[in-house]
Amino acid sequence: MSAEGGELERTLGFLEAMTLGGGTMIGAGIFILPGIAAESAGPASAISYAIAGFVALLAALSLSELATGMPIAGGSYHYVNRALGGLFGSVVGWGMWTGLMFASAFYMIGFGQYLVEPIPFLDGRVFVVGLGLVGLILLLGVNYYGTEESSAFQNVTIGAETLIILVFVAVGVFFIDPANLDPFAPFGAGGVVATTGIVFISFLGFEIIATVAGEIKNPSRIIPLSMILSVVLVTILYVLVMLVSTGVIPFQSLGESPIPVSDVAVVYLGPAGVVAIVFAAIIAAISSSNSSILAASRVIYAMGRDGVVTDWLNVSHPRFYTPHRAIAATGGVTTILILVGLEVETIIALLAEAASFSFLVAYSLVHVSLVVFRRADPDDYEPSFALPRPLYPAVPILGVVLSLVVVSQMATVVVLIGSGIVALGLVWYAAYARGRVVNEGLLGEAIRGRPGEPYRVVVPVANPATQRGLLRLAAASAHANADGRGAELVAVNVTPVAHPSPFQNVEADRDEHQRDLLQNARDIASEMDVTLRTRAVVAADVGTAILDVLDEEAADEVVLGWDGVFDRDGHRFGATVDPVVHEAPCDVSLVDLRRETVGTPLGLVAEDANAPVVAHQAVEFAAVEDTVPTLLTVQSPDDGGDTDPETRGRAVVTEAATAAGLDPDEYEVQVVVADVDVGQAVVEAAAEYDTVCVGFSEHTERSHVPVGAVTERVARDVAGTVALVRGATAGGDGTQ
Amino acid sequence: MTRIDGLTILVPVDVSTAESPALDVIDHLGTVEVVLLGYFPVPDQAEPAMVRDQHGAEAAARLDAVAADHGGLAETLVFTHDREATIDRIADEYDCDAVLTGGSTGQSAGVERVLVPLRGDVNLDRILAVVADLLLAGEETATLFHAVPADGDPTQGELLLAGAVDRLVEYGVDRDRVDWRLSEGEDPSADIVALGAEYDLVVLGETEPSLVDRIIGSFLGGVVDALETPALVVRDVE
Repeated sequence: MSAEGGELERTLGFLEAMTLGGGTMIGAGIFILPGIAAESAGPASAISYAIAGFVALLAALSLSELATGMPIAGGSYHYVNRALGGLFGSVVGWGMWTGLMFASAFYMIGFGQYLVEPIPFLDGRVFVVGLGLVGLILLLGVNYYGTEESSAFQNVTIGAETLIILVFVAVGVFFIDPANLDPFAPFGAGGVVATTGIVFISFLGFEIIATVAGEIKNPSRIIPLSMILSVVLVTILYVLVMLVSTGVIPFQSLGESPIPVSDVAVVYLGPAGVVAIVFAAIIAAISSSNSSILAASRVIYAMGRDGVVTDWLNVSHPRFYTPHRAIAATGGVTTILILVGLEVETIIALLAEAASFSFLVAYSLVHVSLVVFRRADPDDYEPSFALPRPLYPAVPILGVVLSLVVVSQMATVVVLIGSGIVALGLVWYAAYARGRVVNEGLLGEAIRGRPGEPYRVVVPVANPATQRGLLRLAAASAHANADGRGAELVAVNVTPVAHPSPFQNVEADRDEHQRDLLQNARDIASEMDVTLRTRAVVAADVGTAILDVLDEEAADEVVLGWDGVFDRDGHRFGATVDPVVHEAPCDVSLVDLRRETVGTPLGLVAEDANAPVVAHQAVEFAAVEDTVPTLLTVQSPDDGGDTDPETRGRAVVTEAATAAGLDPDEYEVQVVVADVDVGQAVVEAAAEYDTVCVGFSEHTERSHVPVGAVTERVARDVAGTVALVRGATAGGDGTQ
Repeated sequence: MTRIDGLTILVPVDVSTAESPALDVIDHLGTVEVVLLGYFPVPDQAEPAMVRDQHGAEAAARLDAVAADHGGLAETLVFTHDREATIDRIADEYDCDAVLTGGSTGQSAGVERVLVPLRGDVNLDRILAVVADLLLAGEETATLFHAVPADGDPTQGELLLAGAVDRLVEYGVDRDRVDWRLSEGEDPSADIVALGAEYDLVVLGETEPSLVDRIIGSFLGGVVDALETPALVVRDVE
């Protein structure tokens, strides 16, 4: 959130998120569908609701992780578009948009049914449809012109609605006639699963929490909590409503009613109960339909933002600031869908099932997207709520499988309509979006496994006299490690400031004095065939700043300059270098540049964990001037064994080189035999080399930064450039 | 109770409309810190990011213009569904003691007379601390005001006001610059609104809204909306 563009207020707390999710879910679905559900599954339709709730819960779990990883508008569409690219994005976007319109039309016809039935003279299909249209037009008007804040009113109505259902259930339990529940599943398991496809629409709505993720306070906690909790609670409520309904009235007569819940309520709550249920049903239909229209406009907005549809649709009204065109388009299509109800008798079931189909397809792709995000692990995906181990990958796998099972049991006509919408998405992508949609998705990266992150070497530069040499060595290191994944050099300049402010980084970036350095670095980078990035940081502490950069860049290696002086002012190498050497989570090369040329490097191979790193580093440095390095090891003249020192030495070097993945022709071997003064022998042997690589010794004398006696001797007395090297795993606290 | 050191006030400005608000009053308050909050009300129907995409630049320009008009104020721009929540959050973030509302009179030549309605002990310490800071930073005179409830005892009101005057004097305000008025009218909020018209600024204390306030609108909100004079609402942060 840049200061320039303005902040976005997060206004939704836990209660708001719950009412939003729950209020959208508890809609016409539970007031209209019990009849249809009972007709096709008998009392066991309660199980259909439970299965549908479970499928929704799986989707809620996957969506929770995705929403906390990318809290921006669009919900499912957005995640699928990011993960699987524009093709699937288009499929899911169109699917969700049409699905929400199916749902909205379904809610409004249900609204009409509940209004018409209690008024006996005004009967008939035309009237139901007419009322549905009037309701829709009112909603569209409100949404087109925008509303003053009305959340308090909404909370009251949703609270009242929930309360009425709770009373319905709590009282109804005592009126259940066990005879009605037998047989429990007259249509068998097939009927139960087929019914799941119809009633799944009753769970649409929890996703709205993901859709408005950008407006939720403390998203990492509230998004998963409210999504999961609202789905679970609503599932329990639905199952109970279904049990009570089929328990009070035989399922055959329940199936004939367009207003089943009200017919049940009249049995034990009397006319007052009917009024209450009708009131709740009307409220529920309006709030669900309203949310669907809004969610549809948000999907269109997100699609326009990504170029999947024209962004003409997501312009906000110049005066009301509402997405008026998206709302008008949504309303237009919904009107047509409601009008279809004039001709088609089973319109309610059809709309419900078609909406369910679209969302089941969308949620299967959401599950796939979660797997793709986990595998591709893009930089900007850091979900603060991640599914723990047994749930991942169980949730996405189960989610896809169950969605497909439910879809496979749906009515043929619905499968045809649904497939038609999927085809529409595909055709749309091919005809319109393909040229414009930039997003390729992460699928490729996910299949390849870890993304092709380049080998990244960070070089903190400060001293103009040494930066050229450091960059050259670093570039050689990066180049040698590229291995087909590319090499990247990150030159960092840290300006120490007592009290840094976030704005100073920008200023430092433009600083004049960095121009030469950058030019210099660019030349070297192009020479060595590595890419270069530069970073300028203003920070209170240089060492900490460098560690932060290493962390942010996920660096593989850091090449630090050093002046060759030990133990000054209580620091081993210096105030800046010490913390980096001690804590850097990657390979560290501490370089004291003493000669212009790199020449033939010498690697001092000791029998410790750093040996392979040293050997490899020597080979890397050799690449600068295209030489073959010498790997040198020191052996005592008589180790008591049978083998001679030369053989033993060669074995040590070969072992280190093999561990470093070097071929025998990439290095020469030299074995020095010395007994007492190993340091002196090494210094003498190193005299003819321009560059010497030596490991920070492992056997430390408990100093803050471990440096062995030989290493220290070398660093002090060798005339050529000295590089102290340690591997990522041999570090102090930075061990990873 | 000690004085607030360096009074900071938050000035919310609706940046969705082209007319720039009349904020002359802040130029006359003397040396107080002013934080300018540009808020863009986003209807429930719209995605805040969408409105920002479209109107962000325009809103930022308006806010910059207002800030520049008043000598380069600290500013922040927020797109929000909920104006009150944003004001609360930003006031917390910038540690603001009071929030200024514009009033409807437009231009003000200066701030000479300040009306301070006091309701009781609620938030009293902070209101007085803010008034003291205001008076010490500028040249205004203040009138402390209390409306006695229909069945109330006027002497209690007198006691409240006299105590408040003493408190201001303790803070270092010249006694000549403070007077007080007691009203026994039927409708305190109407009295405040009527009286407020004679003043340049009204300082009011924020109170936690009760459940009734939330449903039928708060007393404070009603008074502030009706006032033609700019009002400074002292936050109740305790």
